[in-house]
Amino acid sequence: MPEIQIRHAIRDAMREEMTRDDRVFLMGEEVGHYKGAYKCSEGLLEEFGERRVIDTPIAETGFAGVGIGAAMAGLRPIIEFMTFNFSAVAFDQILNNAAKIHHMTNGQHSVPMVFRGPNAGAHMLGSTHSQAFEPFYAHIPGLIVVAVATPYDAKGLLKTAIRDPNPVIFLESELMYGVKGEVPEEEYLIPFGVADTKRAGDDVTVITWGQGVPVALKAAELAAEQGIECDVIDLRTLRPLDMESVLESVRRTNRAIVLFHGWPYGGVGCEIIAQIQEKAFDHLDAPVLRVCYEDVPMPYAENLENLVLPTPERGLAAIREVSYAR
Amino acid sequence: MATVVELPRLTDTMEEGVIAQWHVAVGDKVKRGQVIAEIETDKATMEFESFDAGIVLKLVAEEGETLELGAAIAVFGKKGEDAAATLAAWKGGGTAAPEAEAEAAPAAAEQAEQAEQAEKVEDAEEAAPAAEAASSSSAEDERIPASPLARRLARENDLELSSIPGSGPHGRVIKADVIKAADATKASPASAKQEVARPKSTPATGKDVDHDGRPYASFEDRPIKLTPMRKTIAKRMTQSKRDIPHINLTIPIFMDAAAAVRKELNGVLSGVKISFNDILIYAVAKALRAHPRVNACYTPEGLIEYGDVHVGVAVAVEGGLVVPVVRFADQKTLKRISLDIRDLGKRAKDKSLKPDEMTGSTFTVSNLGMFGIESFTAVINPGEGAILAVGRIADEAVVEGGEVVIRKVMRATLCSDHRVFDGADNARFLATLKKILEAPMSLFT
Repeated sequence: MPEIQIRHAIRDAMREEMTRDDRVFLMGEEVGHYKGAYKCSEGLLEEFGERRVIDTPIAETGFAGVGIGAAMAGLRPIIEFMTFNFSAVAFDQILNNAAKIHHMTNGQHSVPMVFRGPNAGAHMLGSTHSQAFEPFYAHIPGLIVVAVATPYDAKGLLKTAIRDPNPVIFLESELMYGVKGEVPEEEYLIPFGVADTKRAGDDVTVITWGQGVPVALKAAELAAEQGIECDVIDLRTLRPLDMESVLESVRRTNRAIVLFHGWPYGGVGCEIIAQIQEKAFDHLDAPVLRVCYEDVPMPYAENLENLVLPTPERGLAAIREVSYAR
Repeated sequence: MATVVELPRLTDTMEEGVIAQWHVAVGDKVKRGQVIAEIETDKATMEFESFDAGIVLKLVAEEGETLELGAAIAVFGKKGEDAAATLAAWKGGGTAAPEAEAEAAPAAAEQAEQAEQAEKVEDAEEAAPAAEAASSSSAEDERIPASPLARRLARENDLELSSIPGSGPHGRVIKADVIKAADATKASPASAKQEVARPKSTPATGKDVDHDGRPYASFEDRPIKLTPMRKTIAKRMTQSKRDIPHINLTIPIFMDAAAAVRKELNGVLSGVKISFNDILIYAVAKALRAHPRVNACYTPEGLIEYGDVHVGVAVAVEGGLVVPVVRFADQKTLKRISLDIRDLGKRAKDKSLKPDEMTGSTFTVSNLGMFGIESFTAVINPGEGAILAVGRIADEAVVEGGEVVIRKVMRATLCSDHRVFDGADNARFLATLKKILEAPMSLFT
């Protein structure tokens, strides 16, 4: 199996779907001539031309809205946000049009499209460019939210997202476009709502997604050195949520932590913990802990940023705490 | 005929060894002189080069196993030869092994018996406070901290939460506690029934309970196997304290001048960073040359005044300490000493020192200054007459000529063998050491 980077897995997914279905097109800032701010659309302009790979002005409300209109009219747009921080400008389009039109028109119109781009804190980008949008979008009925951490998942899930009849928020990571992994040459799709166990263990369940995955895996490695084996579950889709996998694991381990790049207050972590306590209360031997950002705006200064981000060491501390490790 | 590979003597003082790691597996072809294993001795982890050649038929010793000298660790031979038969023949071959084994067997049985008894005692002890606790919790609706899972398990096992010691934070009863209690109940069903049946109004009599009347959680002792290094330390330190009458003298030394020299040297020297310890070792070496009586040791036949000055430097390593030696320290430059100590210390930490780098010291320095220790006494390394125990350097208020001044003070304690010399000899040595360190330029004359 060839090893490729996440950016190439994303490009391959778009290329295959654009080849398969000529209704699919890509639109966003710098996606064409510049090949994408993170080089996720290399070669697409040459292959598909300017009608299907469209460079837009810096106007997120506008091109998000054009995408929604195109989807309503029967096309399959992929809207790239240079980063999801800029999706804030297009929030009304996504919240009130993309997510609601199918409901508001009683199913007369659907909005089959993908909004994709990098999400969460990268490195020294300051508070306005380090935001984690999972809670905003996963909060909204009518949207599907995906967060990927490997090339295999990125390709399989992006292809599913492009084919899905609903609007999909597809969250990538600026820090992880270069992450390599094996991707089969033959075509495959990964269904929504199916988590993936990235490391198996029976002592502590570590629930994570997106940029949290490598941190959680490293923390699990540190824990294993101390004899604590973690079940690391990558949710992959945050809505719909694969709670069955999470609950199966928690019933087995009796303890869990949620490790993610994002803020603690009212986030996806809270949703997972709420469901665990609702559905597996009698199986819990310790409170479920969160390892995530500190509850402050992301600092610009590197030393302060490092204090806010979740680290393998903080993950290990939480794993030890729920294990009652002395 | 196949050969039995025996545990070799890799250092002079080695009495047993641990196979740290095998480098060969069954079926491998081994040449004479090939490294087949790493063996942890009392001094260091050493590579074992094979004296024999052949195919590895069997690895008798496991990694981590402690073995006596001469114990069978492997069998080499030709393909198809029977390792078991060879071992049987070897055991019968008049070596010390069968005897040792015969001794070991009853000892093992005895241990097993003791362990069994200990378990029984433990069970009984566990049951007892539990009974007391059950009886003492006055209010039935009293909130006991417990995890949801622990509550469910207690319910399923028909156990009173209040009778289970909680080992979690704030005495929270967790899964492990309930399982332990359930096992204990199964082991002694009679006592368990009693404890449930006892009326709750009975006043508490036990002392090992908290203010809610619940027993405190008791954690198991953790047995730690003695490594060859720990055994060596235990043996030599016991021997020292038993045989050597220690006499300890402490002197304060002003380190302001040494600090200035150190700063100046580090400003101009490249490739080396002089530490206070380096200066100290050098000064000790010079002082020993001036006072050969302190560089000596006691033997029943008479004292030996050592001709050379080899200073041992105690280094804390994982699981114990080792004392690598700076040889001919009085004849080296300060820079050389600094480089030697850096190298020895680094290799001490990764356990790659050779045995001859840890023997032959005539005097030892133990420095706990980096831990903030002010002063302490040390135990003499047998074979030497004294050890210098050195504390931290700290700013202190000192009265000089009727005025209070701030000085950098370090306290050095000379712990010496009273059979070799007396207090006055010690004092003279310490005075010289103080003089050198307070005028450190004298080191370079």
